[in-house]
Amino acid sequence: MIDFSLTAADQRLVQLAKEEARISRTYARYYDQNEDLIEPEELPEAKDLPNRLDMLKELQSQTSGYAIAESLMQLEYADPRMRRNKSGLGDKIVAYAGTPEQKTKFAGKLLSIALTEPGAGSDPMAIRASARYDAETDEWVLNGEKIYCSQFGAADGAMVLARGPLDNGVRPFLAFVVEKGTPGLTLLGQVKKMGIRNWDTEDFVLQDCRVPAINKIDADFKKTMIVFNGTRPMIAAYALAIGRNLLEFTREKLLGSGEVLDYAGGRSGRSAIHDRLIRLEALADATRLSILHCKWAEHRDGVMTEGAKIEAATAKTMGGMAARRLTQECMEMLGPLALSEEFLAEKWFRDARIFDIFEGAGEVNRLIVARWLLGYSQKELN
Amino acid sequence: MIDFELSEDQKLAQSAMQEFAASVMRPAAQPSDRASCIEPATLSALWSTGLVQAQIDEDGGRSPVLNAIVLEELAAADATLALALAAPMAFVQAIVDQGTPQQKEQLLPLFAGDEFHAAAIACMEPQFGFDVSRLQTTAELVDGRYMLNGTKALVPFAASCSHFLVIARVGARVGDSRGDPAAAFIVPRDAKGVAVAEPRGTLGLRALQMTEVAFDGVLVPAAMRLGGEGGGDAQRLIASARAGLSAVLTGLARGVLEYVMPYTKDRVVFGTALARKQVIAFRIADMHIDIAAMRWMTWRAAWELETKQDATRSACLALTYAAERAMAIADEGVQAFGGHGYVRAHPIEMWYRNARAATLLEGCAGV
Repeated sequence: MIDFSLTAADQRLVQLAKEEARISRTYARYYDQNEDLIEPEELPEAKDLPNRLDMLKELQSQTSGYAIAESLMQLEYADPRMRRNKSGLGDKIVAYAGTPEQKTKFAGKLLSIALTEPGAGSDPMAIRASARYDAETDEWVLNGEKIYCSQFGAADGAMVLARGPLDNGVRPFLAFVVEKGTPGLTLLGQVKKMGIRNWDTEDFVLQDCRVPAINKIDADFKKTMIVFNGTRPMIAAYALAIGRNLLEFTREKLLGSGEVLDYAGGRSGRSAIHDRLIRLEALADATRLSILHCKWAEHRDGVMTEGAKIEAATAKTMGGMAARRLTQECMEMLGPLALSEEFLAEKWFRDARIFDIFEGAGEVNRLIVARWLLGYSQKELN
Repeated sequence: MIDFELSEDQKLAQSAMQEFAASVMRPAAQPSDRASCIEPATLSALWSTGLVQAQIDEDGGRSPVLNAIVLEELAAADATLALALAAPMAFVQAIVDQGTPQQKEQLLPLFAGDEFHAAAIACMEPQFGFDVSRLQTTAELVDGRYMLNGTKALVPFAASCSHFLVIARVGARVGDSRGDPAAAFIVPRDAKGVAVAEPRGTLGLRALQMTEVAFDGVLVPAAMRLGGEGGGDAQRLIASARAGLSAVLTGLARGVLEYVMPYTKDRVVFGTALARKQVIAFRIADMHIDIAAMRWMTWRAAWELETKQDATRSACLALTYAAERAMAIADEGVQAFGGHGYVRAHPIEMWYRNARAATLLEGCAGV
């Protein structure tokens, strides 16, 4: 039955997320200015707060659903996180594509995903990292450069996508777990980014890096990409949260005391600033509902379906675009004082911009939706 | 809990209305627009859906969410015909929700018959930059009766409405009463001082024959103030209208998308189908994404009305979003058709006009 209410358990989780965000905000500028630091495993205040994932698991049956409640918390995103993620995209892939033996071997290890290369972003066919099999040692030898790997600084290793040897004229996509400490793996340090500087993002190089055959996960490109069905809406939620931080800041600074936005009147009765704020608020809410719809569909049908992929692409497109529009327009409304590092506004402006690019650029997600709507293959529409 | 699932009843109503809209409304859309008139047979067919009558639920249990779902289906075929039904729907809803027992007894039976019965909320006024927060129509209490003065604009089917629900500012004296609250007054078209102007024609939604209605010293018994003395919640009527209009705009936009897709797949330009050009494909993707978001925003506003919450904010935001997106979608729809998008042989220019028209209205619909 159509319903937009939050259960009491949903609200408890949201309250916890809001409280974490309030505390995190006091550290935001520090980690923005110290980009080489990896976020701590937890902030000092974590000892006084319940663990949100534990609380989610405990309250799950009383929430709107795990995926939805998780998203509601993600919509209160703040940086740095109260507790660092103990799981990465790489270990998620092991969880759904690994053999029981592999799951045991890599149990408890945080694994990033390593896809992007200097010459390969949205287009996987441009991936140059290579893997060849050494039958004598039953090892795979990996070579390549991977960049912009999230969580890699803190991780135990990464799921690396590389091209295997020619097979029927095609070089297949293969996936390997590469653990830190393996000879031939060289870390290149934290990436210097415009924003989200608190995020752990690292580059690395593989030079004749040898991994045992058991490290080869049965996951081709398509199988690997399925993990993004669940994470794209999460990224969209973060994007929206950053945009909304700046929107709320803008309202607070521009509306005088006692001045409220008038939702009762029409567009002609508003000042230009009020009209703009209301339009941005409408965009923010529309984005939020797109994300929640995606999560509701995931709750009902799971994350592996074609429908889930389209929903995720939709949510991500909305989130990425909203982050750009919200942050650009709010800065314009605030005026030159917003440029000052005295306030977090300029940081949120910098943070927001990546969200229409990574984890599925807006253009890629539109291709996904368009192909599905029009019934076109990748060849027919690219 | 967060839930987007339609009930079985909602699914049935949705598919029934979708079929009705496609088979009955779509063929009548362009002819009605060209003639600036809806044929009696079409009006009868619209009335036979039973939608207006369904608003008179004895247990007061009509569903704004269901109405939103239905209005989208109707508008996907034609926004004008959808609004032709939405206008009397809104009037009836107002009486059901806020009317006194006497008002219900007097007015609701008028809508129970088999023939189309026109009535409308009269909200907009003939000022450029009109805004509901700056109404010029006033209702002044004089000897226990209200005297209505002012002019309303863009009233659908004004010439055939039996009654108008006039939104006016209530003040003890006429003058700059901008801060005065608004209320709604039930006025028969044939009351002394009411003058319906000749329709001049409008950019879009032409067949609604929207026109001005002047109220010159019209005396309204206190018992005909909606909700009685000191009663009525005009803002709730506005919110309901905005939710209804959002539903109509969602349908209109969806109609554009559904028409654009097959055309752009067929049309070959520079050796490949238009739909295989990235810019066109991206616009189509954006249309789909926006229409879905419009729908959730509309449903949220309707749900808040259904659960008796204050829907002022959500209705405002739903319409703000839907209006902006529907205009953009209709605009790109015309562009996708090239020259064909400009001529009246295709409905797309009509949808462009209808989109611009519908996005400027207040009070013409309701859930």
